[in-house]
Order: sequence, then C-alpha cells, then structure tokens
Amino acid sequence: MTIKIAQLSCGTEYSSVQYEIEKAARSVGAKVVYPDVSYADINDAVKRFGFNPRSPQLKLMIARAISLADGKYDADAVFITTCFRCAEAALVRNELRRFIQENTKLPVVTYSFTERLKASQLLTRMEALVTIVTRKELLARERQTGLTAGIDSGSSTTKAVIMENNKIIGKDWTTSGDVVQSAQLVLENAMKEAGVELKQIEAMGTTGYGRFTLGKYFNAKLVQEELTVNSKGAVWLANRQRGEATILDIGGMDNKAITVRDGVPDNFTMGGICAGASGRFLEMVCKRLKIPIEDLGALADKGDWRNAKMNSYCSVFGIQDLVTTLGEGKSFEDVAAAACHSVAEQVYEQQLQEIDVRHPIIQVGGTSLISGMVTAVGEVLGERPIVPPNSQYIGAVGGALLSSGFL
Amino acid sequence: MKVFIDPPNSLILFDLVERFGHEPLSSMAAIQNKIDNVEVDMPPMNLTLEDVIKGLKYAGVEVPSGVRGRLSLWGPMIEEADAAIIMLDPPFNFGCVGCERSNEMVKYLIKRRGIPSISVNYPNNEEEAKATVGQIKEFLEGLK
Amino acid sequence: MSEERETRIFMISPESMITPDQLVRTIHAMGKEVTVKETCYGCLVEGSRDLVKDILAEVRKKHPYEIFSKVRAYPAGDPRRCRAQHGTRPGYAQLEAEWQALPWVQNGLMCADKGEKYKLPEEKKQFSAEKFKKICEAKE
Repeated sequence: MTIKIAQLSCGTEYSSVQYEIEKAARSVGAKVVYPDVSYADINDAVKRFGFNPRSPQLKLMIARAISLADGKYDADAVFITTCFRCAEAALVRNELRRFIQENTKLPVVTYSFTERLKASQLLTRMEALVTIVTRKELLARERQTGLTAGIDSGSSTTKAVIMENNKIIGKDWTTSGDVVQSAQLVLENAMKEAGVELKQIEAMGTTGYGRFTLGKYFNAKLVQEELTVNSKGAVWLANRQRGEATILDIGGMDNKAITVRDGVPDNFTMGGICAGASGRFLEMVCKRLKIPIEDLGALADKGDWRNAKMNSYCSVFGIQDLVTTLGEGKSFEDVAAAACHSVAEQVYEQQLQEIDVRHPIIQVGGTSLISGMVTAVGEVLGERPIVPPNSQYIGAVGGALLSSGFL
Repeated sequence: MKVFIDPPNSLILFDLVERFGHEPLSSMAAIQNKIDNVEVDMPPMNLTLEDVIKGLKYAGVEVPSGVRGRLSLWGPMIEEADAAIIMLDPPFNFGCVGCERSNEMVKYLIKRRGIPSISVNYPNNEEEAKATVGQIKEFLEGLK
Repeated sequence: MSEERETRIFMISPESMITPDQLVRTIHAMGKEVTVKETCYGCLVEGSRDLVKDILAEVRKKHPYEIFSKVRAYPAGDPRRCRAQHGTRPGYAQLEAEWQALPWVQNGLMCADKGEKYKLPEEKKQFSAEKFKKICEAKE
C-alpha cells in the first residue's frame, strides 16, 4: 500500500528541493500528491479561509488544504512546507497546519526548508507520517508484554532498556561512539541489571539515528523512527496514555515538539536548519564552565538568568556571550541559568510556534534531567512540565513497548 | 526584438508578442532549457542547488531560497531582453510566478535595466481589453 | 530554448464556435509530421520548432482572432508534470483564468486591426479626505 502524502507548499521547485522531498517520501513507501483544485476553488477557498496572502502559490496552498478538509481529495497524511525566512509563508504554513488539525484527522508535519535540504533530513519526518498511518494498531498499544528490549541510538547518547510484563527491569546509557559498540555496551549492562541473557529476549525495538544499523545487527522486530517511538515511551513513562499531551524533547542535535492524542502523534516538528538551541549547546556551556553536565541543572536553579545576557540564536555567539558575561564577573549560577533560559526561549520561538501546545507538557530526553532546563521551560511556557522518571529512556522504553506488539 | 513578458508564463502576453512580430522571453522557454538537459535528473524542473546559488546575484542569502531560485531563471532573461511588457494585477499567477516577492523584484529589475517597457492592465472587461491590446500593439509596433 | 522540440498550446477562445476536434482535424489536414493531442481547451502540438511554427502561422491565417497560443516547457504527457501522477500542474489555474479573458482579448484584437480608438483606463484616485469629512459632517 502506497501512502499518499499531500504536499501543501510554496517554493520547493524553485529551491531545488522538490526532488529531495519526493525521494524521502519514496524511500519510506509513500508518494507525494497535490490535491486538485480549479481556479474557482482558489477564489472561494481564500475567501472562506479568511487569509488573503499576496503570493499566489500560498493561495493555492489554502485551496488545497480546503480540498482536503472537505474530503474532496483523498490523502493519508499532510506535509506543509515553505521557504525558510519567508514571513508571509510562515504565517500561512502555521495557520494551515492548525486548520488541517481542526478539520481532518490526518497527521501533519510542517517544515521550513533552505536550498540545502537533503532527503535524509526529511526521512524521519516522512517515516513518522507513514508509521502513524500504517501502524495504527501497534501505536495503540498501551502495555508491554513478555520480555523485550529497546535501544535508542541518539546523536549524543545511546540508551537501552529491558522490560518485562510492563515494568523496566534493566537500563543503561552511554555517550554515543561507534553505533554498534555503544549499543552492545548499554544492552549488556541493562541485561546484567535485569538478570537476563540476549537469547531470552523475545523481541527488540530500535530507534534513533542508528536504528537501521542496529535493527539489522540485532535482528530487531521493530525498527522505527524516534518521533512515534519516543511519544509512546513518554506517555507510558508519564502514565498519560489517554487524552492529549505535548511532548518536548530537547535533544543533542534536534529538538522535537510533538502533540499526541492517546499517545499517537498527530503533529510534530523537529529542528532542522539550526542546532543553536539544543543539548549540544548546554554541553558547550559546561565545557567552558569546566563543570560536568550533571551539575548544570542545580547550578542554574540557584542563578537568575536576568543577571546574565545570553540571547543569541547561534551557539557560537552564545558561547561568545557567555565568555563576555563571565568576563564581566557574573556568577556561574547566573550564567548557567541564562544558558538554560536561552535554550528554552529558542525552543519556544522555533518548535513551539509550529504546534498548538496541549496540556500537560511532558519534558523528556537527556536534557530533562537538567533541572534548570525544566525550570527555564516552565518559566517560558508559564507551566512547569511533567518530567517522568527515567525520562531519558523514552526511546528505549518506546522500542521495548512497541516491539512487544510483535509477540 | 526580444521582449520579456511579465507574468513570464502569460498566454495572452506570449501570444500578443508573437502575433505582433517579436520574440517573447518567457518562463516556458527558461524551464524548457532546464528540463531538456539530460545531464541533470532532478525532476520535476531540473533546477539545482547551483541554480539557486546563481540567484545570489540578484538577492542576498537572507532572501528565501524560492525567490533566489526564481530570480536565477528570470534575471538572465531580463538582462537579455530588448524590451518588456508588464501586465498589472493579473488575477492569479501560479507555478512559475507564485511568489509575490519575486514578482515585485522582476518588475524592479526591468525598471533598473532601463529598456523600453510598458505596463498594461489585466483586462477585466471588453473596454479594458481594447485598451490593453491597443497599447501592446502600439508598443510592439513602435519597437520595429 | 532547445531547437529540437517545441510543444505548443493552442487555446480556443470560449466564445468561438470552433471545437477542439475541428481544430485538431484542421492541423492534421496540414500534413505536418507533428503530434497533435486534443484537450478540453483546444490542443497541444508537438514537433520540431519549424513545423510547429508553420502550423501556428497557418492557424493564425485561418482563425486570426479566436485561437491563442503559447509554448509549453514540458513535452505532452511528461510524467514530471502529468496530472495523473501528482494532480494539476501549477500553471493550470492560471491558464483557466486567462481562458476566461480570451473573448475580450479577441474583441480587442479585432478592434485594434480596424484601427479603432481605445480609452486608456482612468487611474484610480483616492477620495480626498476633505470631501469625506464633509460627507461625514453632513450626515451628522
């Protein structure tokens, strides 16, 4: 079955990225389609939608969205994408995303591209759209059964979890080095803690950047992108399997904001163009402060970000700000708080503008262990996020939980 | 003479320019050049990263990539043109001219080149069409 | 532009009595080695540039005001732009819009050939604030 992803876009062909979009879709068994609209449809659609952009291609996007909402055109998922740095398109993109969510049940992802976009950058997003459509039953799974393992091979860290009868019985993490070696190490340690051997494991799920390599190596039953797997792990850990939630994962390289309904994502964004506000920036800050990252949170909680200026979009300039601030004699505590605040602000400005935040907010991933980071997110959003226990293991837990569906 | 038409994909302008004995410079020609290039396999348009980079000649990197990609196609045609016809307020332009920022820049580039040009209204009734066709005919005949 | 191929759209003005079928037969009757594809608006002709230009000249001679034409970048049925593959191509709605204006352009061409005078459209001027103020005050 070929999944039809309806593309609502402006500028893709002239930015030389249309080919890459279609390549990404093809590689996950999907096909990009454009809802058919006529000249009269466009006039009516723009009037009905109530937003009249100057650019004709954006009017066409609106008409195509309305055609989907009215059920005149059949698609399985929606991909909304426009040029990075175009203000008019950014407004339309977000409002159409909202419109699609309010008027259809189709999963939707938004993206702003530059001419340097490559298919590989879109792969995870496209794969997630396809997973949501094709693995509905699997994603509805709320309990882990049997003895299963999950491995999350992330850009910064690799995590493994062993689960038995809906309980975590072993876990471990390490910084990511060689994909297979890092995974072997954490899996062995997790198995040791659980008191089980590899041959006893009934099913395994892999996710994260190294999922394909690990899936092949361990002959995993489930090899799935981190957007859907992490969502399942997050709602399981937070015991919020039913209802709505927003999952916020400030990762090592890309930040994810996912809205879920009953644990299944219906909209998500992932940072793509700039990694200025990510876990990697916090690592750079710790290096400059000469403190272990484990200490950053407590330090930040003692400080006040208002005392230290650190508001650059770029991690390089961010560190420059930090150097200047330290040079002015500001305290480590204030600087640590400012670093966390700067990341939280950027996540709010970038990812969280592309989704409609639903409550509760569940903060997960390695950075959720940095208490100052959670405080900063809470301050920016006006609501302290829930951080479930083992919040850094979402991907591994999701892998173990979902792979048990194959038993 | 080579006459650049704006919108560059307009059927009416292309037809009138040819009809009155000139060569229209259109987006169709620019895109045909791209898609007939068998050495590139980037469907649907064979527009590549290098093309978008060429657009930097007309707009800086802070300008969206779609604008630069479009200008990399229209810009050289405007440079090549001996004259230009601009149709104001067409009802909709899609595909080739879907970005209003690019469209504004095209009009400006024509003005900056200083070639003979004429701006006419998109006809909304018979009377207006009489004027539009009449103006275009006189302009094109005057170029001979 | 490539010298080898020209793909050309021939669009019949909606007020014309010529049907796409008649147009296609007329072109076929010219006996040129080109491909002609009937469409809802007229036809697509594809072949070497010289032949297609000859056809254009003959069509113009036969129907000077009712048929309009422009070149098309993509060959007929090209999967990169084929409607069956993805849905309508981006320029479709624009062609639809221009098609609706063709009867006026047709009439404009006839008038121009007769040398009829035309009236330049008046520039829309903003209503003066003074006058508007007076109206407002008068209503009070």
